[in-house]
Amino acid sequence: MDVVKLILDIIFYPPIYQLLLIGLVGSLVVVIFILWFERKATARVQRRLGPYHVAPRVAGFPQLVADLVRYAFQEVIIPRTVDAGIFILAPIVATILSILPIAVVPLTSNPGYWPVPMDYSVLVALAISTVSPIFLILAGWASNNKFSIIGGVREAFVITAYELIAILSILAASATVLSFNFVDVVEAQSRIWFIILNPLAFLAAFLAVLMATSGFPFEIPESENEVVAGPFTEYSGLLYGLNMGAAYMKRFALSILMALAFLGGWAPYTPGEGILSGYLIPSIIVIAKATVLMMAFSFTRSVYGRFRLDQALDGAWRLVFPMAILGFGLALLEAYLGVV
Amino acid sequence: MSVWVYGEQKSDLKIEGAIARRIAEDLYEVFIGPQHPGSGHMRIIIRVDGDIIVDADPDMGYVHRTMEKLSEGREWIKNIPLFERMAIHDACNVTVSYVIALERILGIEPPPRARYLRTLLCEINRIAAHLYGFGIFGVFMGHSTMYMWSFADREVMVELAEKLTGARLTHSYPIPGGARRDLPQDFPDQARKAVRYFRRRLEEYRKIFLDNPVMRSRMEGVGVIPKKVAAELGVVGPVARASGIKYDARLAEPYDAYDEVEFEVPVFEEGDALARAWVKFEEIKQSLRIIEQAVDWLEKHQREAPMHPKFWERSPPLWKKVFEAEGRVKLLPLMANLKLPPGKAMARSETARGEIVYYVESDGKTTPYRVRIVSPSARNAIVFKYIVPGYRVMDLPTIYGSIDYFPPEADR
Repeated sequence: MDVVKLILDIIFYPPIYQLLLIGLVGSLVVVIFILWFERKATARVQRRLGPYHVAPRVAGFPQLVADLVRYAFQEVIIPRTVDAGIFILAPIVATILSILPIAVVPLTSNPGYWPVPMDYSVLVALAISTVSPIFLILAGWASNNKFSIIGGVREAFVITAYELIAILSILAASATVLSFNFVDVVEAQSRIWFIILNPLAFLAAFLAVLMATSGFPFEIPESENEVVAGPFTEYSGLLYGLNMGAAYMKRFALSILMALAFLGGWAPYTPGEGILSGYLIPSIIVIAKATVLMMAFSFTRSVYGRFRLDQALDGAWRLVFPMAILGFGLALLEAYLGVV
Repeated sequence: MSVWVYGEQKSDLKIEGAIARRIAEDLYEVFIGPQHPGSGHMRIIIRVDGDIIVDADPDMGYVHRTMEKLSEGREWIKNIPLFERMAIHDACNVTVSYVIALERILGIEPPPRARYLRTLLCEINRIAAHLYGFGIFGVFMGHSTMYMWSFADREVMVELAEKLTGARLTHSYPIPGGARRDLPQDFPDQARKAVRYFRRRLEEYRKIFLDNPVMRSRMEGVGVIPKKVAAELGVVGPVARASGIKYDARLAEPYDAYDEVEFEVPVFEEGDALARAWVKFEEIKQSLRIIEQAVDWLEKHQREAPMHPKFWERSPPLWKKVFEAEGRVKLLPLMANLKLPPGKAMARSETARGEIVYYVESDGKTTPYRVRIVSPSARNAIVFKYIVPGYRVMDLPTIYGSIDYFPPEADR
């Protein structure tokens, strides 16, 4: 029994649990599910079957695993004209940084299971989430390809506009409770979620995350018909797969932040003692909420087309940014009136 | 200005493994195509200043198949399957004017039944081609649902065509003096069902694509061709009609049954990508009307041989026997060695993308002396050069998709 307990202790040692199980394994499972859902839902709207041939009994669920295996065994071509070091490192670093915000957020109110001290977790998580686009731009620059450079510049434009909005609107939740501690933010939502108290900030955050993570119809930086694959034009094999995965992992990480900030985190549930009640169940609730958000993101692809770059930026600065500011103001007003 | 130089490159930038050349300050030259997901079988060389295109140069000819020269070595009838390869989903519209030109040299007119059969297939093809155009247009702007829907619904029209002709795409249906086959018995009901289905679906297309706020903002005011410019550039088809020019070969010089059926030619004044999409959308509606009328007429009138009597009289007895028993007709054997009297003729027809013109010259042999084709996409390609500059890089696929440029048809 001691051995089992030891193994469990190691697995459920908070930093390891959070980075490995929720961070890597969890996000991989969610990304596989989301890609499958996205393809199935779009197929349903478009009156086709979607993925089917890989394991028809579970409706083609492991299709992405098959795709990943294919990517993994493809030849990685590194052209002569690229800056090889940055070319190889950029997607790897971008993927790691995309998933890293998960390592600094609480998934339970039980202090024994926090991976890090939570006093400034909102700020730290948001700060980490802003670093990865730099490496996508670097990937485009190192590729030495015209489409890559155009894509990188577009990435810079879109990220500048929308990531700021995402940060501002998630910070609105922190402004409502006058604390940078994610645990305080979630605990304050035990009665009423911030999506109801502050719908403006939530809507702004939703739009910003949708645009900033470049999902299919809004993938302005890598839109196929203009810039081939944007910053990833020269990539192939596993490195290309990493680039694609990084976008979804970032979306997952930001969805978790949004689930904590607006959807009440583990809200209906009160974490208790012990691993099961104190950690496993609340973290699964948070991931489930983040997954629902990602499903909402995914569904937009079957309805909308792509914005033009100038329209996207125009919308960001003229519409969504004021909305985020208003949401922040609303949050401060609620804090002043002591709503929560 | 010359765009690229082969051979000796004057390179003033040294990048290992790359040939670099300075073109101008603050300009960026991007080669879109021919291996590019947004180009089709062509290359568009654009120069951008920031996000604005200042110069665009369409580089066509990547799928040139020397059709005009090839046709000089083939029998008259074998040229029909050849010319179909210009636009296989628009096969009847593309070849019907060639057949009309042959008929003019022969001095014959097809019987009314054959004219209606051709009209029917022409309109089926027009819808299929417009749906193809819509699909490409949609996916160029990242709207995957439009792409999938129109390609799936195109199948309805393709199957109708298969029912009528026996082939899904390259029908080779019109032949000098008539049509290759008659209608199957259950065709009218199926056609009416398809028309009803399309009336319902078009409403959904409008909701998800033409009236979708995101798509509208992408299309409105993009690639505007004013009426005067459209006339100067000589664009044809939906592109011209979206700019307010009411020109349609079906009106200008009615062929087949177009002077007997009722239809309207939709004309829009705006001249932008949205207007071009609307023209195509309305044309599908008109085509549905024509299909209904043609089917009604064909059902009402008795089956006669869908061939000119001149050919039908000389058909083998088996052909006549099968026709009397089952009402079926197959291609006549004498068509293989058809000889045309010496002469010249010109004919035009309205394909989905615009007017196609054939000039045919015969010197009395079994093969043409000369066939000259002017296809609509070749005439519309000029839009790239004169309309694209001034718009943004992301507008290029919008303009490309909206003029429905089809390289195999332009390059011939």
